Amino acid sequence: MTKQYAGRQILIIALAVVTLLVLAASIRYGAIDFSIAEISRALTSLIPGQPAPTLDQRIFLELRFPRAILCLLVGASLGVGGTLMQALFRNPIVEPGLVGTSSGAAFGSALFFVLGGVFHIGASLWSLPIAACAGGIISTYLVFLLARSREDGRASIVMLLLTGLAVNALFMSAIGFLSYIARDPQARSITFWSLGTLSGASWKAVEIVAISTLAGSIIALRYAKQLNALMIGEEEATYLGVNVNRLKWIILSVNVVIVAVATAFTGVISFVGLVVPHILRMLGGADNRFLIVGSALTGATLLTLADLIARLSVRPAELPIGIVTSTVGVPVFIFLLRRRQYVF
Amino acid sequence: MPLMKRTIVLLLFCIVLFSVNCSRFHNAPTDSKDARYVVISPIYNEIIWALGAQNTVVGIDLSTTYPPEVKNVQTVGYHRALSAEGILSLHPTAIIHDNNIGPPQVVQQLQQLNIPMKSFSAKNDSFDGTKALIREMGAYFHKEARAEELCNTMDAQRVASLEKVKQYTDHPRVAVIHFGRASNVYLVVGKGGGGDGGGVSQMVELAGGQMAIESQRMQRMESPEIIAQANPDVVLLTDYGYDRLGGSLDQIKALPGVATSNAAKNNRIFRIEENVLNYFGPRSGENIAKVAAIIHQK
Amino acid sequence: MLNASNITFRIGNKPLISDISVSFACSKLHLIIGPNGAGKSTLVKVLARLLRPQTGKVEYEGTDVSTASEAELAKRRAVLSQAVEVAFPLTVREVVMMGRYPHFGGRPGPTDESVVDEVMQHFDVTEFSERDYQTLSGGERQRVNFARVLAQLWRDGTVDAAPSCRYLFLDEPLTFLDIRHQIDFLKKIRTFTDAPDVVTVGVVHDLNLAARFADQIVLLNEGRLIANGAAAEVLTAGRIEEVFKVKPTLIQSEGSGMHLIFD
Repeated sequence: MTKQYAGRQILIIALAVVTLLVLAASIRYGAIDFSIAEISRALTSLIPGQPAPTLDQRIFLELRFPRAILCLLVGASLGVGGTLMQALFRNPIVEPGLVGTSSGAAFGSALFFVLGGVFHIGASLWSLPIAACAGGIISTYLVFLLARSREDGRASIVMLLLTGLAVNALFMSAIGFLSYIARDPQARSITFWSLGTLSGASWKAVEIVAISTLAGSIIALRYAKQLNALMIGEEEATYLGVNVNRLKWIILSVNVVIVAVATAFTGVISFVGLVVPHILRMLGGADNRFLIVGSALTGATLLTLADLIARLSVRPAELPIGIVTSTVGVPVFIFLLRRRQYVF
Repeated sequence: MPLMKRTIVLLLFCIVLFSVNCSRFHNAPTDSKDARYVVISPIYNEIIWALGAQNTVVGIDLSTTYPPEVKNVQTVGYHRALSAEGILSLHPTAIIHDNNIGPPQVVQQLQQLNIPMKSFSAKNDSFDGTKALIREMGAYFHKEARAEELCNTMDAQRVASLEKVKQYTDHPRVAVIHFGRASNVYLVVGKGGGGDGGGVSQMVELAGGQMAIESQRMQRMESPEIIAQANPDVVLLTDYGYDRLGGSLDQIKALPGVATSNAAKNNRIFRIEENVLNYFGPRSGENIAKVAAIIHQK
Repeated sequence: MLNASNITFRIGNKPLISDISVSFACSKLHLIIGPNGAGKSTLVKVLARLLRPQTGKVEYEGTDVSTASEAELAKRRAVLSQAVEVAFPLTVREVVMMGRYPHFGGRPGPTDESVVDEVMQHFDVTEFSERDYQTLSGGERQRVNFARVLAQLWRDGTVDAAPSCRYLFLDEPLTFLDIRHQIDFLKKIRTFTDAPDVVTVGVVHDLNLAARFADQIVLLNEGRLIANGAAAEVLTAGRIEEVFKVKPTLIQSEGSGMHLIFD
C-alpha cells in the first residue's frame, strides 16, 4: 500500500504541474497573444498610483484572466462531479448529467431566456445562474423522489439511473418546446448556450464558481472513504458502517451544486465528467481520495486545453467548447469501452 | 515503477504540446487614426460594400455572405455566439450591429470596456426603409453621393422590374421554405409580421405572386397540414436548405405536406438565394424581376 | 449472545419471515437451512441489521440493536456475502483494507496494515496483494472477502475492559466455491468461532455440510421456524421430506457424524 500511495502522490504533483503549465498557456494565447511583459504591465496597473490600464491590458485583466481561472474551476467541478457520480452509481459509464442535473440547469436557463424577455426580469448577472441552479435542483430532486421505492424509502442506484434517463428526456423536450415558442433571437440563444461556452467569464463568476467548487470538493473528500466502501456494494458498505442513504443524499447534493453552478455560467459541457475519472483510474487506481483530487486537476487541465482549441482553431471566432469536448470525448470514450469489459 | 513511467510520459506530452504552440504577436495598430469597423449584420455589410466603404471593415459575422468579396475579411463568428476577445483582437474603433448580437454577457463585456457600438435607426423592412438606411449609412461613411446613386438605381430598377412583372398573367400561390440554422429545422415563411417574414412576402407580392401561407411568422414544418392545406402552386427553397438536400426533388417532396401540393405535382420547386429574397437591400429593385422569373417558371 | 424475538419482515403485504424467535450462543456455529424462498437470507439480514423488521426485535448481548449506530456496529459485526462484484480496478489489498474502515478515520495506521498482512496470509492471498480483484476467480475472490471480513472483526489477544461479542454472519458464502474451498472455509469458520466472544450465524444449502459442521441447525420453511437444535434433532427423515420434498437416507458414522443420501 505504501508503494502505491507514494506513486499516487507523485502523480498528483505531476498533474498539478501540468495544470499550471496549461493555465500559463491559456493566459498567454488566444485571439490576442499576450507576452509576459504585457501581462506583468497589466498586473502592475492594478497597484494604486500606477497609470490606468490600456484597452489591451483591460482585456487581459477583465476577459482573459478570469476566463482562464473560470475554465480551471469549471473543469475541476465537472471532473469531481464525474468521479462522484461514478462512485455513487458504481458504474463507470455515468455522468453528472445522467441524474438530470445538466438538463435541469439547461432548462432553468432556457426558461430564463424566454421569460426574461417577456417579463423584463432584471438583467442582473445572478438571474441566469440562479435560474439554472433552481432548474438543476428541481430536476435532481425529482429524480431522487421518483426513484425511491415505496417500501422502505431507499433509492437503489438502478432506479436512479432509469429515472434520471426519463427526467432528462422530459427536460430536454421542455427545452425543445421553449425554443419552439420562443421568438427567434431567444431561441438562438438557447441553442448556442446549450453547446457550452466560456465567453461570458467574469471575476464575479469566478468568485461564485470558486466557492462552490472548493466547498464541494472538500466535502466530497471527507466522504471519500465511504465512497470507497460503496465500491464493493451498497449492502457491503452498510456492513462496513456507512449510512448509504445519507451518503447518497450528500454526494448527490454536492454534485448538483457544483455542476449546476458551473453549468449556469458556461452552458452544458459534456464528456468531461465521463472521461476524466477513467483516465485517472488508468493512471493510479480507484481510491476515491486520489480520484477526487486527481480529477479536479485533470478536469481543469482538459477543459483548459479544450478552451485553448476553441479559441485558437478559428480565431478570431470561437468554437463552442461543448463541440470540442464532444469531438475529443466520444472517440476516447469508445476506446475506453472497448478496452475492458465493465461490470454493470 | 509503471506509475512513474506513466507520469513521465504525461509530463513530456504536455511540454511538447506547450512548446509547439509558438507565439504570434498581434501588431495591429492601436493608435492608428484610421477607422476600423467590425460589422455584424449581413445587410449592413452589403450596403457598405455597395457604398465602396469596405476598406474600413476589419471583421464581419458568419451570416454575412454577400458580396462574394466579403470572404477576404476575417469573421468573428455567429452573431449570437460572439466572443469579446475575438472581436477586440481586431482592434476595432467601433462595432456596428443591428441589435441582434449575443450572448448578453459578451455585449455587457464590450460595454464595460467602453467599446463604441453603433446601430443605424433606419430599418430595411421596405423599399423606403432601405433607402433611408442607405442614406443614413452613406452619411456615416462619408459616401453620400454614392448613397444617392444607389437609391436612384434601386428606384429605376424597381420600376423596370414591375413593368416586366406585368407581362405575367398568373398569380401563383407561393410557399417559401427556409432552413433555420440555429434551430436546425425547416421553417415555412408566413405572410405578415415584420423582419424576415415581412421582406419575403413583400418581394413575392411585388413579383406577382401571392403568399400561400397566411401565418404571421415563420413556423416549423412539423405538421404536414400547414403546406397541404395551403396547396401552393410554387415552392421556393432558400439556398442553404435546398443545397442541404442535395437539390433532390424527391427529398424536398418528402418534407411535410409538400408531396400532395400542386407545386410538387408540376415540379415547380425552385431554389432561391436567401440574400435575394429574405430581406430588402440595394439589389432589391432588380431582385423583383429575378424572383418573378423564378416563380413564374412552369 | 444474539437474541431474536418474534421477528416478522414484510415487503408490502407479503411476509418473508413470520414470527421467528431464536437465540444464538457464543463459540457456536449456527447454520440456517431451508428450501428456496424459506426466508433464510432475509433472516440473516434482519439479524445483521441490514433490514429492520416490522415486528419483533434483535438483541446483541441484551441490547436492542436497532438503537446502535452504523459506525459502532461495524466494529463488531461483519457479513460475508455470496459474492462481491466490483466495477472498478481495486487491488486485493485495497479490498481487504476496507475491512479495517470501521476502525480508522482518515488513513490506516500500522495496526491496520499488520492486521491486513496477517489475514491475507491466513487465507493465502498474499501473492495476489497488488492484483486487480476483478481478475480473480470466484474462489480466490471469496478468500479475499473472507480475509476482509475477518480483518473487520479482528481483535488482538489482549482482553478489553468491557469486551462485547463479535458477530459473524455468512449469507450463502459457499455458493461459488468448489468442494475443496467449501470445506476449507467451513474449517476456518469453525476455528474462528471457537473464540469465546464470537457468535457465528450462516446460511448454507448443502445439508451434509450443515450436518457435519454446525453446532446448531435452524430450519426454516416458507418464512416460519420449523426446528432449531442439534443436527440429530432437526434433520429427521420425515421433516426433511416434508420441507425439502426429497426423501433422504440417514447414515450415522462414528468418525464423521451424520450423512444424508438422496435418491
